[in-house]
Amino acid sequence: MSPELIVALLAAAVQAAAPILFATLGEMLSEKAGVLNLGVEGVMAIAAFAAFITCHATGSAVLGLLAGGFAGALLCGLHSLVCQVFLGNQVVSGLALTIFGVGLSNFLGTPYVGQGTNGFHQVALPLLSDIPVLGAIFFRQDSMVYLAYFAPVAVWFFLSRTSLGLGLRATGEMPAAAAAAGLNPQHLRALGVMSGGFLCGLGGAYLSLAHTHLWTTGLSGGRGWVAVALVIFAFWRPGRAVIGAFLFGGVMAFQLRLQASGTNVPSSLLLMLPYALTVIVLVFSAARAKYLKTGRSAAPAALGVNIEPEG
Amino acid sequence: MPERQYRTDISAVDVLPQVRLVDVTKRFGQVLANDGISLSIMPGRIKALLGENGAGKSTLMAMLAGRFPPDGGHIEVEGRRVDFASPREAIAAGIGMVYQHFMLVENMTVAENVLLGQEGGFVLHPAAMRRQVGELAERFGLGIDPGARVGDLSMGERQRVEILKLLYRESRVLIFDEPTAVLTPVEAESLFAALRTMSGQGKAIVFISHKLEEVLSLADEIAILRKGRIEGEFLASDVASPAYLARRMVGRDVVLDIERSAVDQGRQVLDVRHLSGAGLDDVSFGLKRGEILAIVGVAGNGQQQLVEVVCGLSRPESGEVDILGQHWAKFFQNRDWKGALAWIPEDRAGLATCRGLNLTDNLLLTTRQGFAQGQWLERSRARGAATDIVREHNVQPGNIEAQAWQLSGGNLQKFVLGRELYREPRLMVAEQPTQGLDVSATEAVWQRLLEARKTAGVLLVTGDLTEALTLADRVAVMFRGRVMGLFPVTDAAQVERIGSLMAGLKD
Repeated sequence: MSPELIVALLAAAVQAAAPILFATLGEMLSEKAGVLNLGVEGVMAIAAFAAFITCHATGSAVLGLLAGGFAGALLCGLHSLVCQVFLGNQVVSGLALTIFGVGLSNFLGTPYVGQGTNGFHQVALPLLSDIPVLGAIFFRQDSMVYLAYFAPVAVWFFLSRTSLGLGLRATGEMPAAAAAAGLNPQHLRALGVMSGGFLCGLGGAYLSLAHTHLWTTGLSGGRGWVAVALVIFAFWRPGRAVIGAFLFGGVMAFQLRLQASGTNVPSSLLLMLPYALTVIVLVFSAARAKYLKTGRSAAPAALGVNIEPEG
Repeated sequence: MPERQYRTDISAVDVLPQVRLVDVTKRFGQVLANDGISLSIMPGRIKALLGENGAGKSTLMAMLAGRFPPDGGHIEVEGRRVDFASPREAIAAGIGMVYQHFMLVENMTVAENVLLGQEGGFVLHPAAMRRQVGELAERFGLGIDPGARVGDLSMGERQRVEILKLLYRESRVLIFDEPTAVLTPVEAESLFAALRTMSGQGKAIVFISHKLEEVLSLADEIAILRKGRIEGEFLASDVASPAYLARRMVGRDVVLDIERSAVDQGRQVLDVRHLSGAGLDDVSFGLKRGEILAIVGVAGNGQQQLVEVVCGLSRPESGEVDILGQHWAKFFQNRDWKGALAWIPEDRAGLATCRGLNLTDNLLLTTRQGFAQGQWLERSRARGAATDIVREHNVQPGNIEAQAWQLSGGNLQKFVLGRELYREPRLMVAEQPTQGLDVSATEAVWQRLLEARKTAGVLLVTGDLTEALTLADRVAVMFRGRVMGLFPVTDAAQVERIGSLMAGLKD
């Protein structure tokens, strides 16, 4: 492989990583507040469509992006309602959200399949893009990728350096302790789930606005599930989510290139690569947790456990 | 022995109470958890609230902490009436609780736990937080590393974190729910020192306990809570002996008139000889069919361990236990579901039943062998049996499809009792069978236990002297794992001494 090809491949990896990173951080926020959301895949699909249709109608990529984010937050608000108010099972509600989201976006999107939209385009950052190699990989991207560079820092800062983030983490670990401290765990959970949904929505919006610039069915393509796995891989830490997302982005970009170069490896085998990696990553994470044996779990202690009303 | 009256009019003290409860009443369904309670909590004093499990201590404290409002009466803080709508308001009014189960986030640091909800500003500064908490700990002599992860701390250290939370919020009333239950004796001593320091600095301390010695050594004032009412209130200096407290705590007033006729006694069903270990110290007694033997004592003096051995949950460490004439190991190796041992655990909603299962399934929990047909369960027959139990024992609602959690405590207990009697036991162990029940359910349970004597020997473990003296033929008093006395209830002189024996005094 020539050096140019490797740089192009890495640049493509960064681009493929961006939506996964948004979704992973979104899922992380939700799980940190104690709510498992298996609906990421459906949320991304709906958000991708909401972003596409808004951008298609208004011509504004920024409005499209916001529409994607708010569609994600709204859909996750539904999850929050089912789990927190009606005490529904988080796994079941999340799976339902995925099936609903993917189905609805495909149904609503049918008339638009193949239609293009403006979306985001490559913006070479002055000075930075002239750095050899790194400039080409990181700083000749579209503006959403630049947003993705800030997202992990923002999520980290929110979770570990703000009082709201502290309360949110306490809610995910022990809602009773948060309540005893005078906080409202239900509100904090809803905040975690819906702001997480907003981030997942940004990930979905990226797919239609920056990745393909057109609408097609099955746009989310399993990235939501990868995000759920990556939260575990990242041990619920935003910094590690970056590594995970880039790893997956790399594999996705690599298999696309390989297909394009006309290799004789069957394409279905290549398409399978990211998901095979998901399984490997989960095995690796479980093994590592077992090997370290610190007696502490990285997962929030009250993850997946609904807050029962008193009495 | 003449009954001395220790009545001190504490309301006459010339300082405004920090917190006052005025005629506070709380009802859960049929059960009166708190009945017209009036208490004054004074700044700079340590008040002990003494009472058995189920006496209503937790309910009272939950209302003070703002977890739910009283049904009647009200709470005053510094002379002004307050109505807490949430724990947050109680905290703001200066009332802080240290719960028995710590409300701490194990995955966070000491400083984060202390400042949770009180960060003062949106952006956190971890180094400043640690310094602040470190200084506070220093000031009250509570040594702790503010940067340590709470999950890595000992129980005593975790308790210090809880105390720091209250001190940081500048709580003026600190309420401790059985604070020594999880501590080693050394940790308990340092807790007491800290409590005295805090009370010296003007904090009002409320200390909930059922351990007589620590109450007497620590408290300035003692209030005894029994069956939801204040049974008595004294200055600690006026209390002559723990025996007096013990007697007042468990009471002995006859509430119900129960017909009790003697039953012919049959052969030995339980024989415990020199049982020691796991908190027990040379326990020996026998039990025959046709009699009820009550084990009384302040909770936590070995009753639990004794029940666990008799019911096969833990192996006797040393000594002999024979059940229905068989050696312990042999009996539990191949015991029959029917005609052998039945147990009514204290925790009827946790150990005795599964809250999410209906009554038929709860019946099958202990009787499934009786409804087994090879590998299959005869559910229709089980439903019939459950229906019979519900009807015979008047369990409300009379619907076997109801799940356990939908039943009130009294009805659930009647069902559990019915289920265990269905097994036609020859040895029955009943642990606190009427705790938290209303009068009619208590009476029903008592009648059934008396009836059970016809076919079984009943070992009744209770913290309620009234219950023991109403039902039992003989009483064994336990203190620190030992049987302090074993005598028939007709022995009036001995019965008089129960209070002293419960406090460990053998004069």
